[in-house]
Amino acid sequence: MNYGRELLKGSTDSLLLCLINYQPMYGYQIIKELEKRSNGYFQFKEGTLYPALHRLEEAGLIRGEWQRLPSGQERRYYYITQKGQQALTERLAVWQDFSTAIDLVMQPATG
Amino acid sequence: MTAKLNYLDSLKNCLRLDPTVESGLIRELHAHLEDKSQELRESGFSEEEATEAAAQFLGSPQLVAQQMYEVYSQGSWRQALFAALPHFLIALLFALYCWQSTTWLVAILFIATCVVIYGWCHGKPAWLFPWLGYCLIPIVVAGILLIYLPGGWAWFAALAYAPLALFVLVLVTKLTIKRDWLFASLMLLPVPVVLGWMLALGIGDRYLGYERLYEAAPWIALSFAVLTVTVATFIRIRQRWAKAGALLTPEILVLVILALASQNAISFWGWLFLTLLSLVLLLSPALIERKIREG
Repeated sequence: MNYGRELLKGSTDSLLLCLINYQPMYGYQIIKELEKRSNGYFQFKEGTLYPALHRLEEAGLIRGEWQRLPSGQERRYYYITQKGQQALTERLAVWQDFSTAIDLVMQPATG
Repeated sequence: MTAKLNYLDSLKNCLRLDPTVESGLIRELHAHLEDKSQELRESGFSEEEATEAAAQFLGSPQLVAQQMYEVYSQGSWRQALFAALPHFLIALLFALYCWQSTTWLVAILFIATCVVIYGWCHGKPAWLFPWLGYCLIPIVVAGILLIYLPGGWAWFAALAYAPLALFVLVLVTKLTIKRDWLFASLMLLPVPVVLGWMLALGIGDRYLGYERLYEAAPWIALSFAVLTVTVATFIRIRQRWAKAGALLTPEILVLVILALASQNAISFWGWLFLTLLSLVLLLSPALIERKIREG
């Protein structure tokens, strides 16, 4: 369980960038989308999502913008920036290499 | 509904961010609580249960506040250097023996005043507070120097001056504490240093004080150089506990410098006064902030 949490902690920024790159989203929507796409595997501690989003915004990887929904409520949508897209591309490449290397090492033992 | 407001209130009490960031975050979490409550109501919760559970899902407001603080607490190198600049200028003034020039002193005070007015009107950023401290020091020093006026004038002037000076000092400190008590401690950082040097050099005795000041100038420069490094470090650190530690360390170092340079000029009571003053100036803003937030 702790190992899973550590893995999620290390991948949070990449996951958020990936989702926001797919489409601009607001905080609550991100949590739901993450849960849905991972078949419920990734369940964020809701309060920790916002510091993570603000950290990415401070780093210039995403930007937040208040928008009015058709219902009249306002939500802060996050958009990926150009710098964010570059960072995401780099992280995906690193992840691919990492995942391939892990598979190569793990597969003989488990297979 | 009450649970939502309670949650946001306790979050507000723990947050120590720029007011615009703070209000944006509260608005964002308010929206989140609305969405979560609605989802829970749709799954069969009552209104009250839904808001209570939504607040619980967000987790501890203290933790959220702490994580948000760490996102915004680290200033850039440029901000760190700008915040440390007033201490550096004073260090330079003594290192180059320019402290005798009234022009330089007035110029630094003028620059500090301009910076303070600009910073105060632009959201009170972290770099403002070391400059603000220098704007307050002349008020304190002038009050102390009134003691040396001839005859009964000293009492008369002190009685007229003290309440006014105290009012200004308390008001500015209180407003700073409302922003963050650490900024108040940062602002008051040079006060024990200046008072310590005044005690060590016997500023009251004009001729002896001047001579000693000349001899001690490199040491004074060194103590302000310590403050320069402290402020830059303070701005660059993220964690609150480390920031508080960074403010405590230079006070100890400066007391050591004073001890080395003063050659027993400060009495036991003087040392006691300086040590207590350093601790009070560092820690009392935290206690006052707690009172203000609880009140």
